[in-house]
Order: sequence, then structure tokens, then C-alpha cells
Amino acid sequence: MCGGYNYSSSFGVDMDSFSEELMRPVEEDDQVEASVGSGPEIYLPWLSQHVQSTVSRGCKGTNFAQTTSICLNFIREALLKHQWQRASEFLQCYLQTLEDFNSQKRQVAPENIWKLGSEILYHHPKSNIETFSAFADRMKNIGVQNYLKISLQHALYLLHKGMVEDAYRNLNQAESWRYGEMSASQEKLIKLIQAYRGLLDYYTWSKKRTELSRFDTDGFATNAATQDMHSYFRQASVNLHEIIKIPGIWDPFVKSYVEMLEFYGDQDGARQVLNDYAYDNNFPSNPNAHIYLYKFLKKEKTPEDKLINVLKILHQIVPSHKIMLEFHTLLRKSEKKEHQKLGLEVIFAVLDFSGCTENITAWSYLAKYLKQIVKEKHIDWVQEAWSSRKDWWPTFHFSYYLAKKNWKENKILAVKKAFTSGILLGKGCKYFMYVCKQGRKVQEKSIKTMKRFVMKHNTLNSEEL
Amino acid sequence: MDFPDNLFPTFFLPGPPGQNDSPGSFLAPAWSDYMQLLKPPQTQDPSVSPQHEASYVAKWGRWTSDTPGPLPFLHPGADPWDPELTSQDLLFQGRWRHPSRARVTVDVIEQLNQFLWDHGDIAFGPLGRLLQENFNLGETKKSCKGRKVMNAERLLQDLSGHQPKGCPWAHLSTRQRRFSLVGGAVLGQEVEGLLGGLLHEELESRWKKLLLDEASTGGALGWLPGAKPQVGQLIYPTGRAHNQLNFQKVRLSPTSNPQALGEPIRVLLRGPVRQVVTRTIQGEALVAVRSDHHCAVWQVSRQGHPEPLQVLDTEKGATGISLSPHLPAELAVCTRSGAVCLWSPRDGLQQIHHDPETLIFKDPSKWRWADFTAHPRVLTVADRTGIRLTDVRGPSDCRALLFRVGAEASCQRGERVLLAQSLGTSGPVSPSPTLHLVCTQFSLYLMDERLPLVPMMKWNHGLMSPPLLAQLLPPPQPGAPLPLLLGGLGGHLRMLHLSGGSACTPQLAAPPQSLPSPIDSLPGFPELEPHGQQLLQERLKAPLTGLVAVVPPRCLNPTMLLFQLSAAGDTFYQRFWLQPDANSEDADSLRNANSSSDHTGDLGLNSHDQTSATGSLDAAPDPMAVSWNPQAVACCRRWLKTLLQAPPALPPWTPPTFSQHHLRWSREEEAKGKVQEGLQAAMTEDRLLQQGDLDPLPPSDPPPGHEPFGPEDKLSERLEASWEGKGALWWDSQQSGSRAPRKRHSREKKRTQLSSSFSSVRTNSDFSDLNSSFHHPHETPSPIHRPSEASQSLEPSQELWAKSVPRERRQTLRDYLAVLPSLDSESCSAPQSQDLGSQTFPTSDTGRRSVPHSQNLGSQPLYSLDPGFSSLSHSQNSSIHTLPSRSTPSLAGSQPLKKKPRMGF
Repeated sequence: MCGGYNYSSSFGVDMDSFSEELMRPVEEDDQVEASVGSGPEIYLPWLSQHVQSTVSRGCKGTNFAQTTSICLNFIREALLKHQWQRASEFLQCYLQTLEDFNSQKRQVAPENIWKLGSEILYHHPKSNIETFSAFADRMKNIGVQNYLKISLQHALYLLHKGMVEDAYRNLNQAESWRYGEMSASQEKLIKLIQAYRGLLDYYTWSKKRTELSRFDTDGFATNAATQDMHSYFRQASVNLHEIIKIPGIWDPFVKSYVEMLEFYGDQDGARQVLNDYAYDNNFPSNPNAHIYLYKFLKKEKTPEDKLINVLKILHQIVPSHKIMLEFHTLLRKSEKKEHQKLGLEVIFAVLDFSGCTENITAWSYLAKYLKQIVKEKHIDWVQEAWSSRKDWWPTFHFSYYLAKKNWKENKILAVKKAFTSGILLGKGCKYFMYVCKQGRKVQEKSIKTMKRFVMKHNTLNSEEL
Repeated sequence: MDFPDNLFPTFFLPGPPGQNDSPGSFLAPAWSDYMQLLKPPQTQDPSVSPQHEASYVAKWGRWTSDTPGPLPFLHPGADPWDPELTSQDLLFQGRWRHPSRARVTVDVIEQLNQFLWDHGDIAFGPLGRLLQENFNLGETKKSCKGRKVMNAERLLQDLSGHQPKGCPWAHLSTRQRRFSLVGGAVLGQEVEGLLGGLLHEELESRWKKLLLDEASTGGALGWLPGAKPQVGQLIYPTGRAHNQLNFQKVRLSPTSNPQALGEPIRVLLRGPVRQVVTRTIQGEALVAVRSDHHCAVWQVSRQGHPEPLQVLDTEKGATGISLSPHLPAELAVCTRSGAVCLWSPRDGLQQIHHDPETLIFKDPSKWRWADFTAHPRVLTVADRTGIRLTDVRGPSDCRALLFRVGAEASCQRGERVLLAQSLGTSGPVSPSPTLHLVCTQFSLYLMDERLPLVPMMKWNHGLMSPPLLAQLLPPPQPGAPLPLLLGGLGGHLRMLHLSGGSACTPQLAAPPQSLPSPIDSLPGFPELEPHGQQLLQERLKAPLTGLVAVVPPRCLNPTMLLFQLSAAGDTFYQRFWLQPDANSEDADSLRNANSSSDHTGDLGLNSHDQTSATGSLDAAPDPMAVSWNPQAVACCRRWLKTLLQAPPALPPWTPPTFSQHHLRWSREEEAKGKVQEGLQAAMTEDRLLQQGDLDPLPPSDPPPGHEPFGPEDKLSERLEASWEGKGALWWDSQQSGSRAPRKRHSREKKRTQLSSSFSSVRTNSDFSDLNSSFHHPHETPSPIHRPSEASQSLEPSQELWAKSVPRERRQTLRDYLAVLPSLDSESCSAPQSQDLGSQTFPTSDTGRRSVPHSQNLGSQPLYSLDPGFSSLSHSQNSSIHTLPSRSTPSLAGSQPLKKKPRMGF
């Protein structure tokens, strides 16, 4: 999509090599990779603009190159103005790049045309599936290199339009495509295509399963249907199993694979898949991987200690996740002291995040838990959690401005926060004082009890401050 | 917070950038909504297609504007604006001998040529001064004292009748020709050698700045909502040097155009404003401003009065500033030294990161950037190679990489981070508190800080200028996608629509669209004569340095006011609203049919003006073609009228004249004050230095230190000395230096008799500079052991004697002090202690101090009578002066080495 950045400028070197870098033939306008050195230099796509404006006098590009690049600009402009018809007309002229004299340009041309064309056809009000398919089929065979990419995108388009069977056929075709030696990326692409096919198999499997569940009597028909369903499972599982071995984000694939394994009673296999997905270091740290594992283990009625261990890791990755509230309840109920202590840290950490500041559940959990801890005389836990927050929580949560705002918008939240602030900062805290004062006016009972509690327990907090 | 529970499948390939064929890179952004398909199929029958977002338009409407381009908002400032340098100014434009090997070269020679013409005084002045004594330029009598003097009177007479500037038919006399043949080779080379280096450096930095001006990252336009919803403040810099910060009150109205209320409050700063950040947190309205070497933060009261809170001085230069969306008056500042600090006017500075190297791989850029995340104590620290999450509270806690220029994000080779901005807005209901926008020169990435390294979305923006400005707006309607504005420095604007809150992955809800930039408004202005038209075009084409979108209150349709600030200091605005669409498809196709027939003739035209002029009619996404309404045209007219009234940018050019006084620098003394004023004025205004500012070179301003061209490069030495106005002195030292070895030999023998003669005879007046060098040892108790200290604390400690030294000699004296020997240079300290130490003045310290003073003033004439001492004075002079002077060639006195201000580029 963005050609023409073959001029490289090496920032930070002396002028001579600086100009050397710029001394590239102007004719080879759109070469992307070949002329580019291996050094870590910044490439600026707009450099060619600056250069062309001065150099073109000395050496003009061929008319052919000029017209194609102008045409490309028109297409881009039309796309950005959503003038699909205009873009499509320009694209017809742009097809001439396929016959570019420059071999490198000629090589990237099919891909560019595909990208532009598919975008136009995707949005064009008069385009339909037939047009798109015809275009895709044509483009697939122009640049052999792009066969797999275009096939996959074509299949996705068809899926999008609800034509599952056509999509499936397309993926099947692509999978069996062979042309010379496959590059590493093509092999990966094949895996991805297979995985999508596996996903479609899984869809069929899932449909059959729901159909099957409607028949409640055993019989020959059901038996055959079960067989059929099982074959889909086998097809799907082979492909899905392959893809989830490669590092990546495979949420839909993992989920469907695990669901099928569960259905056939292979709990160990499912657990293994989820464990690998969550704990393999080559994979990106995907919070969903941990959530899937946790949900699976929870469904299996795994002991709470194990659940806590899973969530402990998630807590380290995403302390703001909503499942942390569940984690907090788990920890609070736990017998172990260290778990109870962690429970406090977890709920504190949730409230650290700006997206959770008005989460009333979190605040009530914290208020409740603080009360319990104070009663159980574990003030050191509070002190420990508070020490890393005492310099910013007062302004972040307990400012006078927020007291007024919260009281106005949500009184329950204000009371919970006021209680927490009273415990943490003492009765002199602005937030606490404001809410108490307002509470006296409306004669709310909960505020009185809150105040009594804070007054009673303020001594321990004054020493910690 | 919710995390999207089903992410789009991608490969995760760690590795260097440039693996362009990694499978993740080919999925075009338009396709990303396929992933709707990949929702849990249990709940959804796969054969029933997920409802295609029957396009954004049908669901939410179209963004419409009533003008085809932005309108000028405020009157143009009184200061004229010089258009920035273009590549044509810098690059070689000639015809190459072999067109097939045409290449791009920064044109140093042409620039040097221009400089020599335009600033001949600066270039040739030192030479002139150097040779002044050897030329008679028409004085009645020249004291020759054994020097050879050439009579140049006739030469000047020949010159005076002609303007030499590039005039090929100017008469060339034989005398002139002979002189230029003989002297040209020598005189020309040295000037070029000295100036060439400086020019090289300057051109390089200019060229880099032209390609990527990182200073304006983030944008210098800010908006602060006021106490009332319909009044706010626009904050922007004006002035030639962008050093005047304006707080302009603006009234917004749901139906009509925004109005500026009264005159802006102006704050004059000491540097150009590069970035303006505004934020309202917990009712406190704050404005943070970044200049090159200063950062400042203001608090704006409810009445709209700005009060400065604190100013931060950054020695190395600041590259980024951001205001915390969580805590009032907390900022993050990055400097070119690689340090990132958390800055709060109340608690001071806290350095949270320091690394002169870049994060992932080595990149020479000094650009650093920092922003806040959803966690108030975790910051992002970015450089050109990647972005890191850094916890303020400790080193160990959280230091994950958020983004890396590498294969994970399918980056191209040579791709670099240009902008890293948190998209979380202040307030608890931010739809995307964890999202971060990363812009490179090719693509735009959306990263979620909970899932580092894997982009949630990637879009190839294709902007032909660095995308340095971005703003995420709140959804125009509940549940609608969020508009994301992206601005390139060249005025390219894009609007994207991001769907998805924190619970689902961000996607493009509609194909991205371009918004008009000021140059698209050109048809709205009346036709002018060529000069005026060019002025207007340049003005409208000025780089975009600020972008802010404001949502006016209580509008019938969701409305957005887009303000743009240009480098010329102009503010433009355009009003967009979301118009519900009735029958989008018919109108669309109809319009397209029309426009396509209009454009068939455009194919061969390349210029931007052409396309934008013809394209402006269908630029707005409104089916009914938007045309210029009378109010808009009137607005443009008014603005243009003011613009054309402004004085011309430059005073009329006067051809250079080679008159005598230019060569001789005779008015040096009286012009000193004027020169400094002129320089300062020019530098603060950031304008071209003019002849008037620089007439004679300020003598206290030495040229930058240069490596000597060779071990025996006397001419350069002499030139350097001449730059500093000490040509004669250098000559003296050379003279004596050549005699020094001989003298040194005999010095040992003479020592005893000399010391006795010295004790009786003291000073003279003719050698008062030399004399003052003698003074020095008496002045500070032990100068030999504290030489550097002495020279540093020159001004305060030596006021007493400095008064006794004639004014014109003080500079020379400082030079001597500066070159005093260091601890280990025995050769220098020995004669001093021997000649002037205990033998000469065997008195107490106080006595030593007082005696020479009185002697100095009282018995001056005696000195010159003693021939023995006179020879000593020579030898000592040379031993002091010549030894260390090569190592510190350009240090003048106690002043630190200053870079010479750039001249005239």
C-alpha cells in the first residue's frame, strides 16, 4: 500500500554517509526491500516526495511510472473520501502496473491491486458476492505468491456473507494448493488455513450436536448422526491441534478444541491444552488463556488452592481484571493466613486502576474486608498494602472534590469510600468528614454506624500515619 | 475492567522487524470485522451471518460539514511569517552528467556561495582585520614600523564604481585581476575551510528537521473547557518565534460558529512553544507547555485566568511532556538525555527512568516520550524503537515491554515509533482506559496495556508526512464508535471510527476517511494577483502543528468542532456534525457517478492544488455537494484582508558593498552594544540574521573550537586570533616565539642579575597587558596551585585590580589568565616563581598584594628604561602564551566555550 520509501536517510551519521544514503537511483521508485541496507536506519515514506521535487528536473521517471503513481494517489484519495465508484474506475487504469518494466514493481503489483480492489469491492454499494469472487479468483492466479493469502481472505469474506459452504470449499482448495517449494511463511499460512477449516468443521460439529440433543431416543439414525459428528470432530481436532502448537493468540481455536475434547470426555487432554496455552513462555501473555484455564478448572470442581494458583498468575498480569473480584472472594474465604492477606492486596490493586474507581462492588468488598481485618487485628496487613499507596490514594480517591461528586452521584459509593478513607486516613480525612457532615443532614443510619466504627478504631490508624 | 474474551487469531513471532511476509501482516484492516464471526458459536448459528455493520453510515449517520474546508478562526497575527525551508532550498538541483546515476545531494556549495555573498563581512571580515595593517586603504599616514604595507587605495577605487554581486560584465581592472589571482587561492581557502564545517553541520540538522520535525510531536494547540459548558479556552502560541502563549476565550454555540471572546491573555515566554497539553482533573484546569529547554505548568482559574505554577529548566532539552489524567498537577517530562521524570509542582521531580540508549536496538534518535496508563503509578516510556511500561514505585515491579518495533507487530524494516499516546481519557467512564495509540511512519497500532506486544489493531495510514498529532473523542452518541483523529505534520488529517469498549477488541467501524486541511479552503478565497496568491498558498500550506477537537454542548446532532493550528500561527476551524442518513446507497452511487465524470480529465495532473481544488466539491462526505456559502466566503475575505495588510516579511534587499569600513571593522567599540541587542532580538524572534544585526562581529563571541588543520597551520591560527580581535597580539607572540628558544637558553644565566634589576624597577605603560600578567601572581596568593580556580573566579575576585587596567586591555588580560599553566606544567610555573616569588618580594602575603599595586601605578615610566627586563618580558610572554594556547585555542578569558550563533540560514 505504501510504496516509494526506498530513499533511506541515516540519521545521526556524518554528512557524507548521510548523502551517500540518499544517492540511490531515482528510477527504482518502488522497490521496498532490495535496495534497503541492513543497518538500523529510519525510512521515511515521504522522503521520495522531497527528493522528487528537486531531482525530477535532472532525471524524470518514465511516463509509465508517473502515470501509475498518479493513478495510485487518486485511488487512495478516493478511498479516503469513500468514493468507491471513482476508486474502482481508477483501479481499472491502475491494472497497467502488472506490466511494469521494473521487475520489483511488477512483483508487488498483484498484492497492491488485491488490497485496493478488495477494499473497494468490500465497500462498493453495487458490489456483490459474485463480483468479489470473480475478482478474487482472477487475482489468485496472477501472482502465484499471493494464492494462499487471497484464498484465505476470500474465504473469510464468504464466511462474512454467510456462505459457509463456499468458504469451506475455498479453504479446502487452498490447502491442497502446491507450487514449488513452500517458504516458511507459506507453511504458516497453510497451517492458518487449516485451522480455519478446522473451525468450520467445529461449527458443523456443534450444529450436529445441537441437532442430536433434540432426539432423545436411541436408534439407527442417531447412531449414524453420532458417527458423522465424530468424523467432524476428528477433522477439526487434527487441524486445531496443529495450530495451537505455534506461538500466537488462538482464542477461538483453543476454545472450540477444548469444548470438543470435553464433550468426548478427554478432560486430561483439555487440561493439557489449556495449561500449555497459558503457561508456555513462547506465547504472548494472554489474559484469556488464564481465564479459560480457570473456568475449566472451576467447572471441574478443582480444589480451591489450585484455582487460587491460577488466578495468582493472572493477578500479576492483569490486576484490574473483573475476575479479580471473584479471586478476592476466594481468598477471603480461604483458611490460610497468606491467602487472606493476598485478598486484601488483590482488592486494593483492583481499585488502583482508573477504570475501576467507581466500581461499587470493589469498594464494598474493600470496606467490608477492612472492617473484618481491623476486628481480627491484622493491622500490619493494612499498613503494608497502604504503604505503597498512601502518597497518591488520598488525592486519587479521597479528595474533597471527589467526595462532593460521589455524594451527588452515588451515595452508597460515597459511604463505602468514606468508611475506607476513615479507616485508612483517620477521622480527619476530608472525604470522611464531608460524607459524615452530609450524612448528618439526611439522617442516614448507615453513616452513623460507620462513624461510630471509625471513631472506635481511629487510634490504630493514627499511629500508622 | 473487562477484557475482551475472544481475541483475533494471530501468530506471535518474536524477531527483528522486516519479516514482511509474516502471516499477520496481510490481513487488511477492513477485514478485521470478520472476527465478529469468531464469537462463541454455541450461542450463535454460524450459518447465520453476523449482521454486517450495514455500514457505519446507515447506523450512525454521516459526518457532514457546511463548508468544504476549514475556515480561519482568528485574525492573522501582525508578525509576518517566513515559509519554512523546502527541499529545493537544500538539495542539489543541477543537471547530472549521467542521468542514470542521478542522486540526491545536500547542496553545501551553493549554500556556501550564497553565504559568502550575503554575509561577506562575516566571512571575510577576520581576514580583513588580519591584513588591515598591511594594507593602506587610504589613511593619510600609516605607521609601518617595519611592516610591508601595500597601497590598496587604487584597488578600492577600482572597486567602488561597481556592484560586484555576480555581475559578469563588471569591469575588471588589471590590478584587481592580479590581486585576485595572487591572493585568491590563499584567502579563499581558509574561509571556506572554517565556515564549511559549520555550514555542513547546520545543513544536516536542517535537512533532518525538514524530513522529521520531532519537536512538534503532540501538538501546540490545547483546549480547556471553562466553568460554563459553552465557554472554553483555546491555548496556542503565536509570534514569529512561537514564544507568545495565548489563552483565548471562545464561546461555543450549538448552531452557529464559534466566537472568540475579546482579546486573548498573552504570556511571553523565553523560547518557542512546542507542545501544549491541557487537562481538567478534579475541577483543576491545567496547562502544561513544553519549550526547547523549559517546561512550565499553569493552573487556570474558574474565571479563566492562568496562573503559573512552576517552570522546569531542562539543560539537554525536553522532548515530551504529558499531564496525568489521574492526579492533579502531576506531569511526566522526558529529556534528550534519556531521562524521564515524574514532576509535580508540589513534590518536585522524581526520576523514573534514565537510559541514554534506546530500548530495543540502537537508534541514534534522542527523542523520548512518556505518557500515563490506566494505573496512576505506571507510565509508558517510549523511544523510537519501542515502548516500555515503567512502575514509578520501584524498579522490579513492572517493567514490561508494551510495544516493540519487531516481527510481533509485523513492523517493516526501518520502521520507528513517531508517536505514543495513551487513549485513556480522564474520568472514570473512559471507554478505553487501557488503550495506547502507537504511530510509526507507515502504520497505526492500537495496543492494550494488558496484552503487551500484540497489537489489537493495525492500520496502514499511508500519510505522506509524520503523524505527530492524535486525539480520541468521546462517542458522539451512546454506543457509537469513538472518532479518532490523526494529523500529519503536512496537514493530512484522518478520521477513524473505533468500535468496542474495554470489553471487546477495538476495530474500525467504518473505512477511514480524510478530512480537509486548510489548503482545501483555497477556492473559498477570492482570486488575488500572483504575489498575494502565493502568499496565501504558502500560508495555507504551512505545516500543521496543532489539532484539537471540541464537542460543543447541547447540540441537536452530535457535533464536533475541529481546530487546527498551523506553523504560521493561524488557527482554522471546521464544524462537523453527524447527520442521520436516510438512503445512503442511492445518494452515494449518484454522487459517485457525478464525481467520476468530473474527474476523468484529471489523470495527467499531479499537483496537489489541482486535485484538492477539483476534489473539494466531493471532499465532504455529504451527498449534497457542499459549496462555499456567503458567510464562509466573507470570513475568508476578512481574514485575507488582514493578512495582506501585514508588512512584508523582509526589508528590501540591499546589495552588499565592499566599502572600506566593512573590511576594517573600525566601528567595533561603539557598535558592541548594538550588535548584542541585534543578535538577541534576531534570536528571540527566530528570524534571519540581517546585515544590520551583525554589522561588526561581537568581539566577545569567539568562533567554535576547531581542530587545527595541521600541526603548522599558522594561517588558521592567525585567522582565529583575528576572529577574536587579537591579530596583532598573535603576531607579537609569533615573533617572540621564534626567538624564545634562544632566549630560554640564556635565561638561566641571567636570572640572578635580572631578579635584582626587577626588584628595583617595576612597570611600564606600553606593556600594560604583559604587566597585568605579572600582576596576577601577586593578586591571588598561590596562583600556580590553583590556576583553574583563579581563571574561573576572575570577575568577582579581581575587581580591584581590574579597575586599574585600561578597559580595552581587560579582555587580553582574561586571555592570559585563561591560559595559565595547569599544575603539571613546570616550564611555565618555574620562571614565574623564580622571577616574581620569594626573591623579588620577600614580604608577607598582604605586602605582596599591596606593593605591586602602588608600584604599578606609581612608577610606570621606569620600566621601559631597563633593557634587561624588556627581554625577559618577551620571553615570559611567549612561554606563557604559546604553551597552552594550542590546547585551548578559542577560549576567550573565563567565559565558557560558547557555540557561535548560527548565522543567516
